[in-house]
Amino acid sequence: MDYVIHPRDPRTQSEGVVAGYAQTAQRWPAQPPARRAPGVSELTGPRGLERRLAPVRGDLAGYGDKRAIGQLIHIRARIVDEDGAPVPGALVEIWHCNAAGKYIHPNDDNDAPADPNFYGAARMVADGAGLIELRTIKPAAYPVPGTGGWWRPPHVHFSVWGRVWLSRLVTQMFFPGEPLNEHDAILNAVRDPEARQRCIARLVPEENLLAYDYQLVVRGAGAAPGMP
Amino acid sequence: MKRLVPTAEMTLGPFFPPEFAEGANDLTRLDGRQVPGELIEVTGRVVQLDGRPLDNLVLEIWQADAQGRYDNPAFFGWGRAATDAQGVYYFKTVRPGAIQGRAPHINFLLLYSGLMRQLHTVMYFDDADDAVLKSVAAPERLVAKREDAHRYRFDIRLRGEGETPFFED
Repeated sequence: MDYVIHPRDPRTQSEGVVAGYAQTAQRWPAQPPARRAPGVSELTGPRGLERRLAPVRGDLAGYGDKRAIGQLIHIRARIVDEDGAPVPGALVEIWHCNAAGKYIHPNDDNDAPADPNFYGAARMVADGAGLIELRTIKPAAYPVPGTGGWWRPPHVHFSVWGRVWLSRLVTQMFFPGEPLNEHDAILNAVRDPEARQRCIARLVPEENLLAYDYQLVVRGAGAAPGMP
Repeated sequence: MKRLVPTAEMTLGPFFPPEFAEGANDLTRLDGRQVPGELIEVTGRVVQLDGRPLDNLVLEIWQADAQGRYDNPAFFGWGRAATDAQGVYYFKTVRPGAIQGRAPHINFLLLYSGLMRQLHTVMYFDDADDAVLKSVAAPERLVAKREDAHRYRFDIRLRGEGETPFFED
């Protein structure tokens, strides 16, 4: 069987103009998207992406006098496809704000302090079981300017490549037990409650570390594609 | 076996790390060597409904090599660029060949704050006989403008008059 990309399910995927998120009304296309049957151009994709995007920083927390401020956590993410088959060698980009709610980005004008020991961006390659493990600190909530009270709950951004061009996945991971999760316009744009729940990591306390387990399912099912 | 549901996509947000947006927009060199084919530049401006240019929007491309192959070890057909404060992106690449009944084209994927998920579109070099190009309502908007012998302009409007056609997948 060939590798198959199934259409997106609107209950488990969000799109369009979202209430409470003003930029979506400026940016989401008004015209209905065109349909096409995926062919070789869409069902191939880059292999060995680290040739273009070199891995950086598998540890964002640091040690000793270089230790970032905040609760030390480990994030263990597993990359699988729709068959549940791991995607070994998947490239994974991760970024998040610091323990005060500040990003390293120059466009972040929130009034929160930077942490000189925290640079919140990592790029890693999944191992043979499709796993990455990142040692970092837990990000804080922060206000979205100009929205009259929308605070983003603590979250971690993920950018992942699956087996083909149409398997690209960019998403956000949330933390369990955060009251702001109930009100977040981005998390709650996912209508299906179970799909929403799967965006929240599972806390797995261990003796010497606070670990969060997370699974990222990239689009695609069937035999892993060969190149044409 | 029950199929797993793909993870819900979410917006890239406004704070994609600047270092991630750098250094991947030149497809003409691989491992220090020049790749075979006709070198071209592809540039354009990305705007939203009110015409405002979009800063730090991420564009990724996937294309065949000059012979229309996706598996050439001497060419890596993937690249990434981010727009500057004027909404302008820039790629250096080679002109792709035709492949399996498709006219030469470059696949584009867009990620940005205010986009709940990735957007897909395709750039063509001329008004070609191509099933994907013919499937959209305004195919002329997917044909790049040739600015000089080796430079193509592909502007993208996310929403509003002159809106770029996007694909469901």
